Amino acid sequence: MGSSLYWLQCGGCSGDTWSLFGSETPDVVELLELLEIEVLWHPSLSVASPVEHRRILQRIVDGELELDLLCVEGAIIRGPGGTGMFDTFHGHPKKDLVSKLANRAGTVLAMGTCASFGGVPATGEIEATGLQFHRKVTGGFLGENFRSRSGLPVINLPGCPCHGEVMSGVLTALVTGGQLVLTANNVPEQWYGMLVHQGCVRNEYHEFRVEEHDFGEKGCLFFHMGCQAPMTYGVCNKVLWNRRNSKTSAGVPCLGCTRPDFPREHPFFKSESIAGVPLKLPIGVDRAHYLAYKGLAAAAAPQRLLRRETRV
Amino acid sequence: MGKVRITVPMNRVEGDLEVRVEIADGVAVDAWCSGTMYRGFERILEGRGALDGLVLTPRICGICGISHLRAAATALENLAGITPPPDATRIRNLTVMTEHVQSDIRQSFLMFAVDFLNPVYEATPLYGEALARFQPFKGETVRQVIRETKKILEIIAILGGQWPHSPFIVPGGLASQPTGESLLRCRLILEQFRRWYERRILGCELERWLEILDSDDLDGWLEEREEHWKSDLGLLLRLARQHGLDRIGGGHDSFLSYGGFPEPDQEKSKGKNGLFPAGFLLDNEVHALDEKRVTEHVAYSWYVDYKGGKHPGDGETQPYATGAEGDKYSWAKAPRYDGRPAETGPLASMMVAGNPLFQDLVRQNGPNAMARQLARLVRPAYFLPAMQRWLAGVSGDEEFYRSNGEIHDGTGCGLGEAARGGLGHWVTIERGRIKKYQIVTPTAWNASPRDSDGTRGPMEESLVGTPVRDPENPVELSHVVRSFDPCLVCTVHAVGRGKKLGRLRLSMTK
Repeated sequence: MGSSLYWLQCGGCSGDTWSLFGSETPDVVELLELLEIEVLWHPSLSVASPVEHRRILQRIVDGELELDLLCVEGAIIRGPGGTGMFDTFHGHPKKDLVSKLANRAGTVLAMGTCASFGGVPATGEIEATGLQFHRKVTGGFLGENFRSRSGLPVINLPGCPCHGEVMSGVLTALVTGGQLVLTANNVPEQWYGMLVHQGCVRNEYHEFRVEEHDFGEKGCLFFHMGCQAPMTYGVCNKVLWNRRNSKTSAGVPCLGCTRPDFPREHPFFKSESIAGVPLKLPIGVDRAHYLAYKGLAAAAAPQRLLRRETRV
Repeated sequence: MGKVRITVPMNRVEGDLEVRVEIADGVAVDAWCSGTMYRGFERILEGRGALDGLVLTPRICGICGISHLRAAATALENLAGITPPPDATRIRNLTVMTEHVQSDIRQSFLMFAVDFLNPVYEATPLYGEALARFQPFKGETVRQVIRETKKILEIIAILGGQWPHSPFIVPGGLASQPTGESLLRCRLILEQFRRWYERRILGCELERWLEILDSDDLDGWLEEREEHWKSDLGLLLRLARQHGLDRIGGGHDSFLSYGGFPEPDQEKSKGKNGLFPAGFLLDNEVHALDEKRVTEHVAYSWYVDYKGGKHPGDGETQPYATGAEGDKYSWAKAPRYDGRPAETGPLASMMVAGNPLFQDLVRQNGPNAMARQLARLVRPAYFLPAMQRWLAGVSGDEEFYRSNGEIHDGTGCGLGEAARGGLGHWVTIERGRIKKYQIVTPTAWNASPRDSDGTRGPMEESLVGTPVRDPENPVELSHVVRSFDPCLVCTVHAVGRGKKLGRLRLSMTK
């Protein structure tokens, strides 16, 4: 007996869809087959006519068609003035559809940071929010007490976009009866229980405080270039993107995109710092000890790193 | 048969688009394209750091983020007077084209081709073949397309970290220097992809395709070998002709291309425009592109009125919508070039570049849905050799980034081709912060509503005259709209400062 899935796009860029399309072994089509997931609707893929689509929706809302997995991509747009009319579906606010479907769904998944916490749209004036969080605050669109039929809150899979392998992994866990342990932000600990920093190929530069001050240099991006990897949970440097790489390994600072406060206010590509030391330090470190350690480490930096002789 | 008005809500477009059409005696006599989502992106950028457009604007669109990234970087380079080093230009061209290629092929087979499975075609000769290849999730072509388009994107991940959404293109060049071994891996991926595209999509080598110079050549090619006939392109062409797509979906006959694939060594290539040059084509004459001639109208868009059109650098974006008002119907503004609507996208690029095949197809039948889709599906044949040339030309030891210090105050404009056509960013920096950001996307051009003269947008115009057999199932209209590859997540305009939103009354379904 398979599971049914409905994929709803709200205020987003469809990046999570395309990220899922990048997942591998199995790829997205094979994954759906292996897990016996029946896609009732996906806006980029489904062939159902608009009339059929509305019939499917009506049957879900009326309880005639069981909906096991509701995947929401994009922030919920509530503006202007709470009407939701900045984002409509057949002339009605799409947010109303979100409530109706969420109330019928076995499990609700927020695919990406926008649906999880509001993301980029939540910093604008369209009254956008995440499904059950508004940035760091619980509540969001469905409210703190929302539980789907399975008794779970909305499962947040943040990332801008969410890593394709995380989405496919969590779908697999849910369909095959695996247990998900959720953290305080309702993200599954198994996929968000490590820092982006862990596994970065530039770790040795960080270790000896060999810093990058401008693009194109080699060095750690944390001290000046605004890299958020030591403060951000995500698999980026363990499960590589597109099977090949990660931003930090390609010299692009981590943007902190799985964090509820993404996008941060401070300009990207710059660290907030005093006297060359970032204000925000790696999660859990003691400032005084960290500074003492970094001072010693810098003094101990090997010449091959200082001369940038390494190919990393 | 009297007049009926129908709504053709579109699935399988990126973002939210509603198309309303008036049909009289079985023919579409008028059309209205509405962007139904308003995201307020430009306002989000105001007040942020000078470089933040590199991170935020790609998040307008998950399938063409690198086009936004490059436009954002180019706008800042334009402001700061920086020219990126040749190797950086090579990599930028390569990665933007990589993104175009995946988008062109995905759109063709995951979105466009699916309309040939419409129930109305069930009894037609090619239906079985179309079903076997194009059925969502199951079709043979669909499965291969999902697999192979994913692979070519690995080039962007290797050079830029990930796809979608890594800001590896920065003003002055690239964020980091690619290593020799990563360039080699990209060469292998590109070669493998080219072979798949030749074998599966074209049914011939690129060189053979590029010999096709007019519609007789095209017919000759199709008949020449079974591999051509049976290839995915061959089948799509046969289906398009069988269902008359070469006779629907006209337009205004004005084409706009922003170019944007500069030859890396600008000294050596002076006077050359690079592959797919910029220009505006009207009445068979190509005019040099001048961004000052771009304006946006709001007479039929849900914004506070101003007279005529305004340059994006001077644009106002104050939402204003009321059910009683009657005329306004879209969150997209109406961009115009020299006061005229213009089609943009692969067909427009081919026309502006003077591609003989597409000029011949348009000369014979006018712009049409088949030519538009064909231009998209074969664009990789023109891109791939250039991509290979640029990649082979990267030395790996030259500089990839030139710093010009902090971005100073000023205004800049970044224009270039995105997968769906011309994309423009206009930015003003003041005291190190973004003061103003305006974005005009390709779909804003194509799916534009009427302008202050009441002239329809290109897609609206192309729908007029389309025969519609069954208003309950207007598949002909669907073919036309989809031939533009519309992407309405592009509707990005901002809420005006200080507007009391709670007082607005909106009616999206007039």
